[in-house]
Amino acid sequence: MSLAMTSSSALRIQIEHALERRFPSALTPVPRTIRETATTGIAAVDALLDGGLPVGAISEVVGQKSSGRTSLALSFLAHRTLEGQVAAWVDAGDAFDPESAAANGVSLRQLLWVRCRSASAAAKSRPWTRLDQAIRSTDLLLQAGGFAAIVLDIGDTAPEHASRIPLATWFRFRQAADRARCCLVVLGERAYAQSSAALVVECVPRQGMTAGETVLTGFSFEVRRERQRQLSNVQGIRKPPASMWSATCRWAQEERA
Amino acid sequence: MSEQLYLCVHAAEFPAQALLRLRPEMQSQPVAVLEGRAPLEAICALNRHAERRGVVCGMTRLEAEAIAGLRLLPRSTESEAAARAVVRECAAYYSPRIEAASYGTACSYVLDIAGTGRLFGPPERLAERLRAALATAGFRVSIAVSANFHTARLKAANSRGVTVIPEGEEAAQLGKLPLAALALAPDQAETFAVWGIRTLGELAALPETDLITRLGQHASMWRALARGEQAHTFQPIEPEFALEEFCEFETPVEEMESLLFVGARMIDCLVARAASRALSLASLTLQMKLAEGRTHSGTIRPALASADRKFLLKLLQLEFAAHPPQAAVHSFNLSAEAGQSSTVQLGLFTPQTPEPSRLDVTIARLKAITGEDRVGSPVLEDSNRPGSFRMGQFVVSTNASTAKTDGPQMALRRMRPPVPVSVVMQGDRPRKFRDAERSFEITAAYGPWRTSGCWWSTDGWDADEWDVLATTRQETSIACLLMLDHARNAWQLVAFYD
Repeated sequence: MSLAMTSSSALRIQIEHALERRFPSALTPVPRTIRETATTGIAAVDALLDGGLPVGAISEVVGQKSSGRTSLALSFLAHRTLEGQVAAWVDAGDAFDPESAAANGVSLRQLLWVRCRSASAAAKSRPWTRLDQAIRSTDLLLQAGGFAAIVLDIGDTAPEHASRIPLATWFRFRQAADRARCCLVVLGERAYAQSSAALVVECVPRQGMTAGETVLTGFSFEVRRERQRQLSNVQGIRKPPASMWSATCRWAQEERA
Repeated sequence: MSEQLYLCVHAAEFPAQALLRLRPEMQSQPVAVLEGRAPLEAICALNRHAERRGVVCGMTRLEAEAIAGLRLLPRSTESEAAARAVVRECAAYYSPRIEAASYGTACSYVLDIAGTGRLFGPPERLAERLRAALATAGFRVSIAVSANFHTARLKAANSRGVTVIPEGEEAAQLGKLPLAALALAPDQAETFAVWGIRTLGELAALPETDLITRLGQHASMWRALARGEQAHTFQPIEPEFALEEFCEFETPVEEMESLLFVGARMIDCLVARAASRALSLASLTLQMKLAEGRTHSGTIRPALASADRKFLLKLLQLEFAAHPPQAAVHSFNLSAEAGQSSTVQLGLFTPQTPEPSRLDVTIARLKAITGEDRVGSPVLEDSNRPGSFRMGQFVVSTNASTAKTDGPQMALRRMRPPVPVSVVMQGDRPRKFRDAERSFEITAAYGPWRTSGCWWSTDGWDADEWDVLATTRQETSIACLLMLDHARNAWQLVAFYD
C-alpha cells in the first residue's frame, strides 16, 4: 500500500515536472481561500449564509416589493456602521427612507447617500438616466475605496432595463469590490450580476403580523439561498436552502419597551 | 568691517513681468504693456523680445501696432499687486527685514541680510538662491549686494544678474553707471550734460564744496550716492501674509480649458508660497468678473488642508464642471486660506475608511453626476412630519456608532413624489385602490393613523395614514402605506413596506 502511494506521488511529481512550463502545479489542487463574511444581524439569515454576506464580493438580494430585502440590507448596514465602518447607499429610485434606516440602527453620520434623479431633472449637459447615474456612482465609490459596504439599490428599476447592465460592468465591480474589501450589495427584483455575484439570496414575503387584527406589528419573510460560491465542505448541501425571519414595526418595538 | 549688509532685488519692466508670469505661452513672444486712456495709450513696459524689435517705452498704440507680431496687453494694477506680493513672499524667506524701494515701473525690495551667513552661506549663494526662487515664480530679476543701502539699490537697477560689491569698492562699482541712474530732474541733468558729466564716477570726482555752491545742498547727496557713501535709515515693512493670485485676460475667455490652464499656474504659485511657510491650503476662493458686469464666485474647501497641486487642480476642475461661469470671463482671482498641513495618525486596528482627499474628489464627481444637493449624509429633522430629513455633509468619522439595534425592523421605500391613487371605500375603510398602471385589491387595512402639524404655517400637514396589505390580479402581494391628504382631499401612495 505504502509502495503504491509512494509510486503514485512520484508519478504525480513527474507529470507536474513535465508540464511545469505550460501548466504550473497541474495536479495539485488549488488551495481554498476562506472568504471573510460580515453578519447581517439576523441570526436565521447568518446561519443560512454561513456567517453572513461575503466581504469583498457582490451579493445580490432579490425579490419583489415588500419581500423584506430593504430591511435585510439596512440590518446589514447597521452592523457595519456599528463597527465604525462607513457605508454608502446608491439609490437609483430615490426610495431610501432615513427614518427606517435610523430605526434599524444605521448610523446616518457614517452613511453616504447618493440620490439619483430623473433624466429630466438632471443637468442638461448630462441627461443620464437614474440607472446610469447609479452605475457611475457605484463605480466611483468602489474606485475610491474605504467603504465597508455599498448598497446599489435598483429595486425599483424595471428588470428589462436592469438586465441591460453589461456583464463587463459587473465583472469590474467584482474586481473593485475585491480590491477594496467592500461588500457590494445589489437590491433588485431579479439577479443581474450572474457569474460575478458571489451570493444570490431571494426574499419572499410570507405574512403580516398583527395585534388584535387592528394594528400591523410586523412581517415574516423567507430567505432562499439561490447561489453561494465557496460553500464549506463540512456543512455542505445538507443545510436547508431557506430560512425564515421576521421584522417588526417601530411602534411594536416601542410598545414592547 | 561694517556690520551692515544689504541685498537689493530689482525686477525691471514689472507691469509686463506681472502679466506674463501666468501666461507662459506668451513669454517667448514680443509683448508690450499699454497704459492710459484710449486713444492716448502709451507703452509703459515691454519684454526683451519686444525690445529687440525696436519697441521703446512711451510709444503710442498706433506706433506699436505698426510693429508686426507685437502683442499688446493692457496694464493691470491688480496683477501687479499680486505679483509684488509674490516677490515679497520669496524675499521674506531669506530675511524678515525688507524695505520697499520701488520706483517708476520697476519693483525693488532691499533686504537686510546682515548675519544670515550661517543660515544661507555667503551672500553670493544667497543671491543665487533668491534669483532661482524668483525665476521659478516667473520673474527675471537682477540682484546686488553691498554694505551700503543705496549702492545695492543703484547697482541692482542698472545691471543684470547677481553682483556682490565688496566693502570699500562701492565707488569703483558705481563709477561706470550713467548719471540717469540718480533720477535727476531734467534741468539738473541738462546742467551736468553741459559740464560733460555723464557717469557717476565723474560726478564723484567733483569737489564737494564747489558742487554745493553751484547746485545747492542736493548736490551733496548726489555726490555721496555716486561715491557709495550715502547713509540710510532702514525702514522695514511688515508684509501681510495673503495668498492671492489675480489674472486679467486680454480677451474674455469662454473655454474651461483656458481657465484651468491659468488656474493650474495660480495653484502652483499659491502652494509654493504656502509651502515656504510649512503650510497647506485649507480653502480656495475663486472670484471672476464676467461679461455684462456680472460676477461669479465659488469656494473649494477640502476635508483636510492640502498642498497637493494635482488634487487641488482636480477640485477646481470639478467646481468648474458643477458651477460653470454663465458668461465669458474677464478676470480671474484666486485666493486661499492657509492651514496646517494635515497629518493623520492611523491605527493598526481602526476600521478602514476612505482617504479624505480622495473622498473629496469622489463626492465632487458624484455631485457632478447626480446634482449638488443629492449627495451627503441624511440628517433627521426634529419634527413629527412623516419622512422629514435634510441632506448634511458627509464627513468620515471613525468613532463607533452608539446606535442600538433591537433586531430588524420593517423598512419603508418612499415614493418621491408620492403617487396619486384612486381609492374605493367600503364603509369607512379602503377596499381597492388603483394607480396609473395597476389596480390592487386590499386584503387588510390598518388605520387610520391621524397626523397633523404646523397648522399655523403654509407648510402644515393633516393626513390619515393606512397600513395596507393588497394583492394584484397577478396574485402579487404587497404591503404599502396609503395617505389621505385632508388639505387636498386626495389619496396618495406614500411608501412600500420592504
